[in-house]
Amino acid sequence: MLGALLYLRLTSLRNLLRMRLLRLKQPKYLVGAIVGAAYFWFFFLRRAFIPPVNSPSMAHGMSPELQTLPMMFLALPLVILGLKRVIEAWLAPDDKPGLAFTEAEVAFLFPAPLTRRMLVHFKLLGSQVTILFSSLLIGLVATRWVALGGNYPQHVVGAWVIFSTLNLHITGAAFTVKRLIDGGVSKARRQAAVTAIILGFLALAAFVAWQTATPPTAADTASPLRLIAYATHLTDTGVLYWLVLPFKIVLRPFLADDTAEFLRALGPALLLLAAHYVWVVRAETTFEEASIALAEKRTAQLAAMREGKYRLGAAPAKARPGPFRLNAAGGRPELAFLWKNLLSTNSYLRPRTAFITAFIIVVGCNWLAIQPRPQPKLLVVTIIAGITAGYIAFLGPQFARQDLRSDLVHADILKSYPLHGWQVLLGELLTPLAILTSMLWLALLAFALSFEPPNLPWLTPGLRLVGIGASALVIPLLCALQLLIPNAAAVLFPGWMQATRHRGERGIEMLGQRIIFVFGQLFVIVIALLPAVLGAGILIFVLQWLVGLVVAVAITTIAVVVILGAEIACGLWWLGQRFERLDLAAELRP
Amino acid sequence: MIEVTGLAKRYGTFTAVKDLSFAVRPGEVLGLVGPNGAGKTTTLRCLAGIIPASAGTARIAGHDIATDPVAAKRTLAFFPDEPRLFDYLTVRQHLAFVARIYGVTHHEALAQSLLEELEIADKADELPGALSRGMKQKLAIACGLLHSPSVMFFDEPLTGLDPLGIRRMKDSILARARAGATIVLSSHLLHLLEEVCSHVLILKKGEKIADGTLADVSARFANGEANVSLEEIFIRATGGTES
Repeated sequence: MLGALLYLRLTSLRNLLRMRLLRLKQPKYLVGAIVGAAYFWFFFLRRAFIPPVNSPSMAHGMSPELQTLPMMFLALPLVILGLKRVIEAWLAPDDKPGLAFTEAEVAFLFPAPLTRRMLVHFKLLGSQVTILFSSLLIGLVATRWVALGGNYPQHVVGAWVIFSTLNLHITGAAFTVKRLIDGGVSKARRQAAVTAIILGFLALAAFVAWQTATPPTAADTASPLRLIAYATHLTDTGVLYWLVLPFKIVLRPFLADDTAEFLRALGPALLLLAAHYVWVVRAETTFEEASIALAEKRTAQLAAMREGKYRLGAAPAKARPGPFRLNAAGGRPELAFLWKNLLSTNSYLRPRTAFITAFIIVVGCNWLAIQPRPQPKLLVVTIIAGITAGYIAFLGPQFARQDLRSDLVHADILKSYPLHGWQVLLGELLTPLAILTSMLWLALLAFALSFEPPNLPWLTPGLRLVGIGASALVIPLLCALQLLIPNAAAVLFPGWMQATRHRGERGIEMLGQRIIFVFGQLFVIVIALLPAVLGAGILIFVLQWLVGLVVAVAITTIAVVVILGAEIACGLWWLGQRFERLDLAAELRP
Repeated sequence: MIEVTGLAKRYGTFTAVKDLSFAVRPGEVLGLVGPNGAGKTTTLRCLAGIIPASAGTARIAGHDIATDPVAAKRTLAFFPDEPRLFDYLTVRQHLAFVARIYGVTHHEALAQSLLEELEIADKADELPGALSRGMKQKLAIACGLLHSPSVMFFDEPLTGLDPLGIRRMKDSILARARAGATIVLSSHLLHLLEEVCSHVLILKKGEKIADGTLADVSARFANGEANVSLEEIFIRATGGTES
């Protein structure tokens, strides 16, 4: 019987690969695959398999201290994520099945003459495909960090041990929880017990460390590597050793410095893995009902993704009052789109939140300014405000998608409204525009209040004030331009756009398509900004001799606003025309 | 009033609708029928201004849908086969949104009476996710009727409705027609034509095979035989195949 299940897995995998290869006949997938493959080659494979010749790579040239930082940036979230998954598995709600089946699997396998253990094996086998692929990728990344030690095969096997153990532990935890529920243990009692165990473990670890360990010296905290060495030494002694031993056993093969250490670490790790396996396959528990419910839920989520209704950070769908009063008579119809799309966002994205944040920024910056030695603290605020503004300006339009990108599936309905195409486009742009503009204005406020100008004679208070005013004026136009580009892509290439936004879709070609879109957006925004930047440069250069720098900046800002405004107006009008002619059904025809 | 002259829709070399001409007067209900791929939905979408026609003209309540689309759309309502609703808007908020788009003043009372007529008043503060398929359909209809359109296009209006829902939908269409609305509907269901439509237009591969009153079209394909069923008429008219 397992042969039949294996056949299902392998045939499905083969057909999936075949389908992906066949769709490369379409240029959008072929180009995406080429770009995706190039990305993988240049960023992973080339560095992993081709040793540097007379030109050491950046990673090889970096000191171990410096290499530790990116390692920690990647490893820390992974460790936290792993622990979170384990804790969640034990605290899971009662309807968490532990094994996730698709609706087709439920329909075919559950009524089939299969034992529960066979179904468990079927799912464990299926999860190995993802685990193996993830291990191969992690191995490629880890091999670039010389400070980690080891080699590619070690890292792949080490990662496989970690992921497999984690997967089995989560499944085993879910089965055990289910048995507890079947045995009459209430959700509250179970969760209280698990929380008590976790807190007890942490308290015991902290108490033991406090009692036995020597506090870190200045030398121990001198660098991340030394801090890791100190922490490692701490967990190698006394009771702490036994407390963290299971975690260490799982991690050691991956972290081994050389082959001998790896082989020594592999034995205990495989034993622990085998123990988890026995735990899972021997757990006689019912999971069918919860699996069916989960399968239905996942199918609904997948359908939502395919229809483009799924969005990162989207608010959970629940009824709530409108963000502002929408009067039917007399108002601009475009505002109805703002009202509608704001309803789809989290309720904290409202003017009230912006005003409260602005108040906090003003009070906070003024409070910092009256503290003794305020400069370093204000500098931190300036840097945070600058980085935040940069992130919002460049990445904001990718995340704030409450526009035509989300509403493209409703194109037929939108087009039946008595509105011009440009009105629909403008209405759709208003929500992300309002969100991004508000965020950037807040960042600008923090920057303006915390920025301590260097002692430059030309940087007068008047110029600073005009500069801040100019930035505040230009920000909404810049955001509108940034948002216009992905919305233009949605109108001009709806087929391609629809394909790239299906988060259910995977593959190297999809990765490549997304890369093309990101670089395409960057390229177009540079072209779009060129006239304004050139015009502004020439105007400031000429006017500062005639009217002074402050007035020159003010006049230039007006010119920039006019240029960008004209570009946006033309873009909206042209895209509106295209939207009126758009036939989504024809565009999405395979 | 709907006046269609020489309407055509092409996708590259494929012609979905070819040289279609017909007129529907106020109070009439025209049924668009034909095999799969005959061009029924494409025709409806061209008439509703959702997609542009490749050739020909369509005048909706006196306004050319190509040259004066905004004025034409103010008078029409399009009801797709699947109710396409916004996930985050409640039933009442859907109506408020549509009222703003169409500029319907004092819409609250009108919306309430529509919700009561369609028996979804108790769901006014629910999101679409909490509604059954039939209720979603009713909400889509309420949104379409809110601005009191004089021209209505229904694409497969009975899809997914239960027997009671079907009965009410038929009654609603007939009531709107009696009130003077001009209605075009597409359907595979021949009994719907018999019960609701005053006129019928048979399409095949984008071309008009026949149009006229139900009696006229029946007489044309009955070949002198008595008591020929509508199903038989349809099969004879379309040649019994899709292609």
